[in-house]
Amino acid sequence: MPQLDTSTWFTTIMTMLPTLYLIMQLKLLNTNHYQPPLTKNSNLQSHNTHWQPKWTKTCLPLSQPQQ
Amino acid sequence: MNENLFTSFSAPTILNQPATIPIILFPTLLILTSKHPTNNRLATIQQNLTQFTLKQMMTTHNAKGQTWSLMLMSLITFIAMTNLLGLLPYSFTPTTQLSMNLAMAIPLWAGTVVLGLRFKTKNSLAHLLPQGTPTPLIPMLVVIETISLLIQPMALAVRLTANITAGHLLMHLIGSAMLTLSTTNFSMTLLTSMLLALLTILEIAVALIQAYVFTLLISLYLYNNT
Repeated sequence: MPQLDTSTWFTTIMTMLPTLYLIMQLKLLNTNHYQPPLTKNSNLQSHNTHWQPKWTKTCLPLSQPQQ
Repeated sequence: MNENLFTSFSAPTILNQPATIPIILFPTLLILTSKHPTNNRLATIQQNLTQFTLKQMMTTHNAKGQTWSLMLMSLITFIAMTNLLGLLPYSFTPTTQLSMNLAMAIPLWAGTVVLGLRFKTKNSLAHLLPQGTPTPLIPMLVVIETISLLIQPMALAVRLTANITAGHLLMHLIGSAMLTLSTTNFSMTLLTSMLLALLTILEIAVALIQAYVFTLLISLYLYNNT
């Protein structure tokens, strides 16, 4: 059986080692997996401002009841 | 007869130079790397497959086992691409070489064992004895479990070699039978060609499955030992 001919074993093993451990891993490291772009949720009506209410009332005119 | 049958598995040479070197290196050329966020279809398919396989394989491991994810991903990619490329006619499959499979299996298996012995010594040694064995059987069972542990890398290598070699051999045999039948009895040729088509589909499945099994078993050994 030609697989048991050990004269080629050194070449095969020595080629496989950098291929598997070096080149394949470098290739996989260099693929960037980008996240799909997230949509920015724009809801202008909800304000989670819980610092001083008086500053909120002056800085966010839209949150006041319409007069 | 023996010599003719197995000659496709001998290491190929071009002008007496070993051709195994470019053949083993070839699948790495087919992996595309690019820095763009959106790629062409082939690169996107490869990236999605990589992510999918990564998720499937590595979610069951803890943080320590997940440090092996690059190694296991490159392993499954390498074996799957090599096996699939070997299905082309007149090509040489490096995974039919016992040398390469042994050189893949032994270091990876030894790595998982050493990891287990070093970080979880008691746990990994406790795997040698199943629970609830009656006391007189303990020495014999420890010997049996040790032998089954030591045979794991051999089984990994020989399993991959034998499966791929057997599949290729079968395709060669049926193909040459078809050739001789085409001159004598044509209807049998059609039947045999159907057989060959089915075998090819099986071989595609086997190529992928073998890659998967190899990697899965190594990850299982890793799981047991982290």
